[in-house]
Amino acid sequence: MLNFVFYFQVHQPYRLRHINVLDIGTGQDYFNDELNRMVMKKVAEKCYLPTNSLMLTLIKRFYPKFKISYSITGVAIEQFKKYTPEVLESFQALSETGCVEFLGETYFHSLAYLYDTNEFLDQVNMHRDLMKHEFNAETETFRNTELIYQDRLSDIIYEVEGFKTILTEGVDRIMKWRKPLYAYKNYTKTMNLLCKYYKMSDDIAFRFSNKGWEEFPLTVDKYVNWVNQLTLSEDKNRNLFLNLFMDYETFGEHQWAETGIFQFMEKLPEMVLALPHLGFIFPKEVSDYANYQQEALSIPDPISWADEQRDLSAWLENDMQKNAIETLYELFMKIKMKGDESLLRQARLLSTSDHFYYMCTKYFQDGDVHKYFSPYDSPDQAYIYFINALADLEERLS
Amino acid sequence: MKILMFTWEFPPLISGGMGMACYGMIKSLLKLGIEIDLVLPTKELIYFPLVKVEDVDLLPVVYLDPVRQKEFARMEFLTMQEKMEYMGMTVHPETYLQLAEIQKFQGLKYFFSEARSETVVEKVWQEVALHLMGDEDLFQKVQEFTYRAEKIAKSLNYDIIHCHDWLTYPAGMITKKISNKPLVVHIHATEFDRSGGAGDERIHKIEHAGMVYADRVIAVSKYTSQMIMSRYRIDTMKIRIIHNAYSIDDSVVFQRKRIFSGPTILFLGRITLQKGPDYFLDVAERVLQSHPEARFIMAGSGDMARKILRKSASMRLKNRFLFAGFLNRTQVEKILGASDIYMLPSVSEPFGIAPLEAMAYGVTAIISKQAGVAEVVNNAFKIDFWDIDRMTETLNYLLDNPDVCEEMGRKGKLEVHQIEWDAAASKINEVYTELVQ
Repeated sequence: MLNFVFYFQVHQPYRLRHINVLDIGTGQDYFNDELNRMVMKKVAEKCYLPTNSLMLTLIKRFYPKFKISYSITGVAIEQFKKYTPEVLESFQALSETGCVEFLGETYFHSLAYLYDTNEFLDQVNMHRDLMKHEFNAETETFRNTELIYQDRLSDIIYEVEGFKTILTEGVDRIMKWRKPLYAYKNYTKTMNLLCKYYKMSDDIAFRFSNKGWEEFPLTVDKYVNWVNQLTLSEDKNRNLFLNLFMDYETFGEHQWAETGIFQFMEKLPEMVLALPHLGFIFPKEVSDYANYQQEALSIPDPISWADEQRDLSAWLENDMQKNAIETLYELFMKIKMKGDESLLRQARLLSTSDHFYYMCTKYFQDGDVHKYFSPYDSPDQAYIYFINALADLEERLS
Repeated sequence: MKILMFTWEFPPLISGGMGMACYGMIKSLLKLGIEIDLVLPTKELIYFPLVKVEDVDLLPVVYLDPVRQKEFARMEFLTMQEKMEYMGMTVHPETYLQLAEIQKFQGLKYFFSEARSETVVEKVWQEVALHLMGDEDLFQKVQEFTYRAEKIAKSLNYDIIHCHDWLTYPAGMITKKISNKPLVVHIHATEFDRSGGAGDERIHKIEHAGMVYADRVIAVSKYTSQMIMSRYRIDTMKIRIIHNAYSIDDSVVFQRKRIFSGPTILFLGRITLQKGPDYFLDVAERVLQSHPEARFIMAGSGDMARKILRKSASMRLKNRFLFAGFLNRTQVEKILGASDIYMLPSVSEPFGIAPLEAMAYGVTAIISKQAGVAEVVNNAFKIDFWDIDRMTETLNYLLDNPDVCEEMGRKGKLEVHQIEWDAAASKINEVYTELVQ
């Protein structure tokens, strides 16, 4: 038996205004409300609303066999409320079907795990409360920002009540001969690990509309045929997990409606469920299906799902990124010592990983992806605005 | 007396201190009753006849502001009256209209290759003709500017030709050739200053030709006159040193409004090798070790901006070294009003008006010994640009003794009020008088 494990990431950062040194101390908002509204409206229209409506239809049509999971950040939910409340309502409608699992993560989609364990736990708990409040959901599966994972993370998450499973990337240098199709355990064997099958995920998320790709166009027939072939290698009757993890914006935003991505998704469950040995499950159901001794994976250094390197280099490679994030977490300490809640909120909004992603200077293919996602002209500009915001924050503190 | 003046910068068409210098100079010359026909690198073939002092502020902005210029080019006007009003003009001199459609440049080769009897002069023309041939944007603009000068030279009456920096030298030379009127070239900066090293050979040749062909060479400082003598070997009899000045505009309110609670140290200028931004950064790194409460601001743009930004990040200067980017006039006034110390660690600075402006705001100035401005002010700290230790010590001392810093700023402010363009303009007038006698 092979089960599809769909996890979709839903996130929108608060993008910064072009903050000049002369704006410091004027009490202006750090964030570009107009731009954030515009982006949210656009993505809601192109992706969130049509995709949610499609998912709802599919869930109802195949009830209760079609299951999916979402990780929705706190900053995304806030912006839904502010700019597109209908999107939040449509997610709530999905949650009521019982065929959706909500995952836990940091409220602010931050890199706090790497710099400040207490702040990290605060943000995880804030997000857990939010999921309970908005969707009446108890989170049991954790995904760290950008699927960043290492052994130490599992130790921390193990201590948080409720979490039993962590999602991460199926990085080649870790997996080696292993297949991401099996459920694994963390290095202490206390938590389940599900590793993204990046080839099959990226066929949908990145390559779907690439006319230069030899498999173009990707049909559901072809895709399900590949999945079938994956099951052939398993001769001991162990249950397999096809971990398809991707940005939710894949549907309609990264892959436009014209590419046929919606038709693809619409047809997929039907074709999958027509075959008796294929199905869909939630990430939290992994223990119920893992009918074998799960191998423990030791991952001492951080991995992630970003770029070719699948490490931290998208956010923490160059000096601008390092100076910016080190300064931010130093400020966190000062703000917490002073106990100023409104400044803490601002620091947290600045902790969103996207701010550091915009400062990335890697070139070649990945640079293009960074550029696609960045609202600024250059990494240097992104850095200047961010540092100016931190300078302002420090002035407010004193 | 009537002067035909060529310059590349004039407010609001400014990219540096030269525009401000020309502005102050012209204003004071007009006060002396001198009339000036000003030629700028405008899109359209025009010149600006200036007679009264107020005229300097009444230049039709549409010709000078690139944004407004674009708008203007797209607009259609029913009547000439309407066009004039749009341009913001109260009078209708016909010279503001296009003298002719700009045509493809043709005349240059002819002018420069025509044989002259004197061998020195002949060589000079060859220098210009040969070295003005670049096809970069800037060289093409200079060619165009020179071509227009010919038309203007023929259609106007004037007693003396006055040119500012190499971009306008070919234009001045052509004009002199056509009219036989005396030529004054004004050296605000040489290619050695701008490049911090050898620089562009073609520009040196044009600078040299201009100075050789000119009847008088005005240097903005002793420092510059030495450069002209030692590097360009110009006849010392022709050289006059007239320091730049800074006239305080009565309409400007020198308002102090802090941005940072900590001491604020400012670099304001082009972020290029000439201005020594890397020395500013090195000093900042050292001073921040003992004074983490200090804030260093680098305002301006330039080819070294990215390098300095990345280096400041690698030094982990946190949020204590900030970049303000290019600032307009109002923003410059704001940032000066928010600063305690102004630093100009120029490697080579023929004059440097910016420190005077900073001093007018009561900001304590630390300037490079190698700057021409150091020859005219006393109440500023003058340090070799390369002496990072000395600069660090001085800054630390001023931060530890804010009363000393404030006192220096106060004295500097008083001193700047004594430096007036009127005095400099009288000296320029003397040069003119010498030439027409």
